[in-house]
Amino acid sequence: MRALYTAATGMMAQQTNVQVISNNIANMRTTGYKRQRAEFQDLLYEHVRRVGMQTSEQGNLVPVGVEIGSGVKTVGTPRIMTQGALSPTGRELDIAIRGEGFFRIELPDGRIAYTRDGSFELDDQGRIVTVDGYLVQPGITIPPNASDLTINAQGQVSVMMPDNVQPVVLGQIELTRFINKAGLQGIGDNLFMETAASGAPQDGTPNTEGFGDLQQKNLEQANVEPVTEISDLISAQRAYEMNAKVVSATEQMLSTTSNMSR
Amino acid sequence: MENTHLIQLSRQVALRRELDVIANNIANINTAGFKGDGAMFEQYLMPVARAEEFARPDRQLSYVQDRGSYINAAQGALQQTGSPLDVAIDGEGLFVVATPQGERYTRAGGLQINAANQLVTADGHPVLGDAGPIQFQDRDRDITIGRDGTISVPDGIRGRLRVVTFGSMQELVKEGSGLFVAPDGAAPLPVANPRVVQGAIERSNVEPVTEMARMIDVTRTYTMIAGMIQQQSDMRRTAIERLADVPL
Repeated sequence: MRALYTAATGMMAQQTNVQVISNNIANMRTTGYKRQRAEFQDLLYEHVRRVGMQTSEQGNLVPVGVEIGSGVKTVGTPRIMTQGALSPTGRELDIAIRGEGFFRIELPDGRIAYTRDGSFELDDQGRIVTVDGYLVQPGITIPPNASDLTINAQGQVSVMMPDNVQPVVLGQIELTRFINKAGLQGIGDNLFMETAASGAPQDGTPNTEGFGDLQQKNLEQANVEPVTEISDLISAQRAYEMNAKVVSATEQMLSTTSNMSR
Repeated sequence: MENTHLIQLSRQVALRRELDVIANNIANINTAGFKGDGAMFEQYLMPVARAEEFARPDRQLSYVQDRGSYINAAQGALQQTGSPLDVAIDGEGLFVVATPQGERYTRAGGLQINAANQLVTADGHPVLGDAGPIQFQDRDRDITIGRDGTISVPDGIRGRLRVVTFGSMQELVKEGSGLFVAPDGAAPLPVANPRVVQGAIERSNVEPVTEMARMIDVTRTYTMIAGMIQQQSDMRRTAIERLADVPL
């Protein structure tokens, strides 16, 4: 009986769904995390009696056919790239993006990754790096005797030097955007990589041409909504249970069949 | 007496088919834009197999046959997602999708933008507007989709989603992947006042409780018929035993 395998596809799909939801909940407090959603589609249909076929030579047509589906499949787990809430931290090197854009991060192997996690640090040479020590592009070096590091909404990094009354501008943090943000590939560590589906990266200055502005001393929280996740979890769990019920109903029918000839 | 078995068998075959339909509905309980299937049965008069064991005139036998599965076109619940490219149709209508095989129709509105800046479905097929695929520019942002399906960005209008309908949803054939295909000759009619909702997707319209009840009904009926077949078989065996009991 096909119902057995159909229900199995349903159980597998809900298993994936629970996996995605649990990853969202696990990352509820991860800075710059963007939640994912499992999307499903129905599988092929067997047309036992196809709608629109002729039933007589006079041209009568079958008004409704018999079509039997064969289950469900997972088609994607797109990221929902909405803005997360900003929470003030007071740290000079915590930067949140309000609006469009990603920070550019240079990986140790020279490739460029993108992130919304702006909890940066300084390394031993005074360069701005991520918590993993990867260089934030374009590299900005803070002199050891500088104080009062300020990053404005346009991404200008300036400091006060001991012998200068005016702040000194050290560099400009740039943002990158993609036409299809959901097509970026997550590689863990809050980093994303460009893919063929995301489109080419477009660099720009914060707070211009639709890029978001930078908020110093703030961090962007994950955009996971606990209420949504929990209600999704309940619905996934119930759907899993119901598919399991179909398996046992099918099993019952099969055992009835095999017990028919005593 | 064989006829009793044949009639019961016809019902059992139909019930197994119905359970397959229910299983597919339940498997797709979380599939966006999915429309459940129902099964319809019909009496089928069988003129060939006749009851020959009684003195009464012959009567036609009525078998059960599943003549159709209909698409339940009821509206699914709209779920707010907050994603700007999630669209749902509130009420009548279907989105038009260009696949390599031709135009297909869908209610699943989890849309994306591909690398060529086109609006596409989760499978990557372009979604059609009134003037073909919807094309965005490199720097487009803040995409707004109006109630009538008009897609606009701060720089201007990028197109209007085509929302179509058919005389009856039953004309359409399910193709899987959330797509419906129209049979030859069925022309899509534009919906006069579509209600497109941005930031929401339409959930599956499968009612869990109804499907569970149907499933219990199917299994119980199946067991009942199996019991009847058993009784018939017992009756037959007893008859043979008694009648063939040659007195010494």
